[in-house]
Amino acid sequence: MKKWKIIFTAILLMVVMAACSSENQSNGNAEGNLEPDVITAWAWDPLFNIAALELAEKRYDQVDEDFQLEIIENAQKDIVQKLNTGLSSGTLNGMPNIVLIEDYRAQSFLQAYPDAFYDISEYINIDDFADYKKAPTSFDGKQYGLPFDTGVTGLYLRTDYLEEAGYTPEDLTNITWDEFIEVGKDIVDKTGKSMISLNPNDPDHLRHMIQTTGQWFTKEDGETIDIAGNEAVKQALQVYKTMLEEGIAKTNSDWSSRLADFNSGKVVSVATGNWMTPSIKAEESQSGKWTVVPIPRLSVDGAVNASNLGGSSLYVLNIPGKEKAAEFLASTFGSDNDFYEELVTEVGAIGTYLPALDGEAFNQTDEFFANQTVTADLVEWMKEIPNVNYGMHTYAIMDIFTGELQNYRSGKDIDEVLNDAQQQAEAQLN
Amino acid sequence: MGLKLNRSIIGWFFASLSILLISMFYFYPMLQALILSFKSGMGANLEFTGLDNYVRLFNDPVAMIALRNTFIYLIFQVPFMILLAMFFSVLLNNPNLKFRGFFRTAIFLPSVISLVAYSVIFKYLFSTEGIVNDFLLKLSIISEPIEWLMDPFWAKVLIIIAITWRWTGYNMIFYLAGLQNVDKSIYEAAKIDGANSIQQFFYITIPMLKPIILFTAITSTIGTLQLFDEPMNITGGGPGNETLTISQYIYNISFEYTPDFGYAAAVSFIIVILTVVFSIIQFKIGGEKD
Amino acid sequence: MNKLKTGFIYTLLSMVAFISLFPFLWMLISMTNKSVDISQGRLLPGGHLFENISKLFENYDIGSALFNSFFIAVVATVLCLIISSLAGYGFEIYRSKGKDIVFNILLLSLMIPFAALMVPLFRLFGGISQVFPAIGIDTLYAVILPYVTTAFFIFLFRQNTKMFSRELIEAARMDGLSEIGIFFRIYMPAMKNTFAAAGIISFMNNWNNYLWPLVVLQSPDIKTIPLLISNLGSGYSPDYGVIYTAIVIGTIPTALIFFFLQRYFVEGMTGSVKG
Repeated sequence: MKKWKIIFTAILLMVVMAACSSENQSNGNAEGNLEPDVITAWAWDPLFNIAALELAEKRYDQVDEDFQLEIIENAQKDIVQKLNTGLSSGTLNGMPNIVLIEDYRAQSFLQAYPDAFYDISEYINIDDFADYKKAPTSFDGKQYGLPFDTGVTGLYLRTDYLEEAGYTPEDLTNITWDEFIEVGKDIVDKTGKSMISLNPNDPDHLRHMIQTTGQWFTKEDGETIDIAGNEAVKQALQVYKTMLEEGIAKTNSDWSSRLADFNSGKVVSVATGNWMTPSIKAEESQSGKWTVVPIPRLSVDGAVNASNLGGSSLYVLNIPGKEKAAEFLASTFGSDNDFYEELVTEVGAIGTYLPALDGEAFNQTDEFFANQTVTADLVEWMKEIPNVNYGMHTYAIMDIFTGELQNYRSGKDIDEVLNDAQQQAEAQLN
Repeated sequence: MGLKLNRSIIGWFFASLSILLISMFYFYPMLQALILSFKSGMGANLEFTGLDNYVRLFNDPVAMIALRNTFIYLIFQVPFMILLAMFFSVLLNNPNLKFRGFFRTAIFLPSVISLVAYSVIFKYLFSTEGIVNDFLLKLSIISEPIEWLMDPFWAKVLIIIAITWRWTGYNMIFYLAGLQNVDKSIYEAAKIDGANSIQQFFYITIPMLKPIILFTAITSTIGTLQLFDEPMNITGGGPGNETLTISQYIYNISFEYTPDFGYAAAVSFIIVILTVVFSIIQFKIGGEKD
Repeated sequence: MNKLKTGFIYTLLSMVAFISLFPFLWMLISMTNKSVDISQGRLLPGGHLFENISKLFENYDIGSALFNSFFIAVVATVLCLIISSLAGYGFEIYRSKGKDIVFNILLLSLMIPFAALMVPLFRLFGGISQVFPAIGIDTLYAVILPYVTTAFFIFLFRQNTKMFSRELIEAARMDGLSEIGIFFRIYMPAMKNTFAAAGIISFMNNWNNYLWPLVVLQSPDIKTIPLLISNLGSGYSPDYGVIYTAIVIGTIPTALIFFFLQRYFVEGMTGSVKG
């Protein structure tokens, strides 16, 4: 049994050694947050948000060369968990100075933790930003978020498939979803491809369909549930079901198979936010075969061919270092035209800062999209996006909807579906 | 008498560090969670609301669906998995079996899988056009593809398959270790008396392993009542809420929706109460004599 | 007849092994492919292995993540084996009415979902940080502390102790061994298969632990492997080739631990009681 003892002792010894070495490591970090010399920021996506923050830091060096930014990459769901745990426990130890929050979730953070965020009204001029970003990023007359990433949507189309079926992209430009279905049936018949790929367990298409009408699941106050009798919501559900039933849509079950459906050429179109562009371009062999047109609208009065899906903004936490953090954001994301030009050229991020959007860099053509000026087009549509208050319950309501969509597909009456969803939402979210 | 008392104190001494640490890192937070369950509100705006959360819970259709789903998993999955784990451990304990190390490792490995891989692979294998459907179609077991992720019934079956796949090897470990603690001479005696291997299994192995069976039954019950990874990562609780579990619902109330930690705590204590009830039943059936 | 039975057993085990291992095969294949091919379900090995590895190592500090995970898992496991087995042994061998009640109460700690404990526990560590920053929030010790003993392992050891021969203890007492001496010199060696099983499970749980390290670790240089993998998927266009490479690297340690400790599950290894 000696051997066993030796192994055990060796492990213990290693532990002690490791313990000593990591002691030094952790000491440095524990104090890191009392000392606002270093401003920390939490964000997700290294190719996009993180890259944007890095670029901003580089440019800000010219303004304040002592400024130090530590950017910490976390997945979005991880940020949501860490932030909720930290803020609700009242233990601000280790919280970042700057955090990226998705627009759909912003109101829920701002209202659930009223003193946790820093009012940056005096640092930026909110009118410089795309109109639709205002409602999600402000609360009670105060501006908390610095609008950043846009989720402007487009209808990405495979031009070669359209040609095969005898159509041009113009036939699908500025149309309604009903027209999309009509044209779609014909294209599916002629090409044997599916028109679109949907995941009924995550029906995010419903969100951008509904926003084309300037409505939401809640009234303008962001709280009163507005589902029963809401024509936009009703139509979106009908369109969604019809696409599945008429066989123009195929289904996918997760993100990876969603990407696979367009990368492998199974679908003619992708209706989604502009952040999908890099994934579409990942399949280099399809270069020149894609184009982007405005997203279809619902057949409701006042609906426009512009919408949003996702998108996020930057927030400053009300902890030591807040002024420093706000100044940094104001002087880069909040006012620097050149920063945005560099951002679009180097990172491919558009942002929502209007004064910068007419710059030269936004008019570049893209070879992958057959030399279309994709960025300039997206910017145009972005300005049209209806302003919607997402309120605090978007994801809770989406879950209710996903359940009701299931019932609707198996034959439940549409008005009953809406009434039940309304009741469930009211019961759950009072 | 003096010696006995002395030993009793030594027993307490052996357990003292555990009692201290568990009180600090589990019971103290648990107590706070209990207090929290009498409060309600968004995020940091919590107000004392008495038993409101518990009343709300019993009128919450989603919580009831989650409870129902959790019970379905518990009833169909736990006994099946425990029997399977026991079966494999006895097979693999046979010294005449070749490649035992390989088979053991193979059956255990699923429990170390990374959640990311787990979710992607299961969704891929069980997609409507996936390999599993292909295989079943070719063998003419089914005549049209099963919509594993979209159909309320099959989605639950998928969750049960996934849990069994992942956790059978994990439970097998406890049996394998337990089997080594069984006195070999009992088997020798039984062989001399002419007992065959099936008789040995039922009359020696199972009674001897009783403490371990009780352990795996209780811990698997606890694990299933707190089931989270599988519905979260494979079906996302869908279609609709058809595979949602209580733990996933707690997560949703705390992080996915505008957080209400008070209500989440109240839902958690429902799990505590259920687990206590099931554990008492199992201890009684397991014949623990007090 | 016997041959038929043996053939059946091997066929069955081979099928089970295939089902168990298939996802791992997929992981290994995927780490050699590029992202676009993986999401399209390519089942053949590709030529992107080195590219994936170098991308992973260039962009992420996987070395320190491996160290952190290893440190957490080893320290938590070693402490857990000693502290929990002492308690499990104590509750069973020196059994009394009072101890049974305390033991049952301890089991209660297993019954609440961790998500419900997270906020109070985080607040507790916030308090600890004020007094002892070295074991407070944002340290590896904060990850380890709640797992240095759990009711799960106490329960495991207690149940296994029920199968431990009391005669051995009596004999040792006759030989004049102290009670603590009996534990270390008689019980521990005799129960090494249980220790091996508990060691594997504890190492694996700590290695794969996600929720608590996620919340309590803040600095980027003290990430663990599961946190790093979660980060890899954080983008709008995740690189699945790199993700699978990280997953495979992150799976190897637990698999190795199992591989080396599984010899304790072989019959004939026990019986020797001498320390």
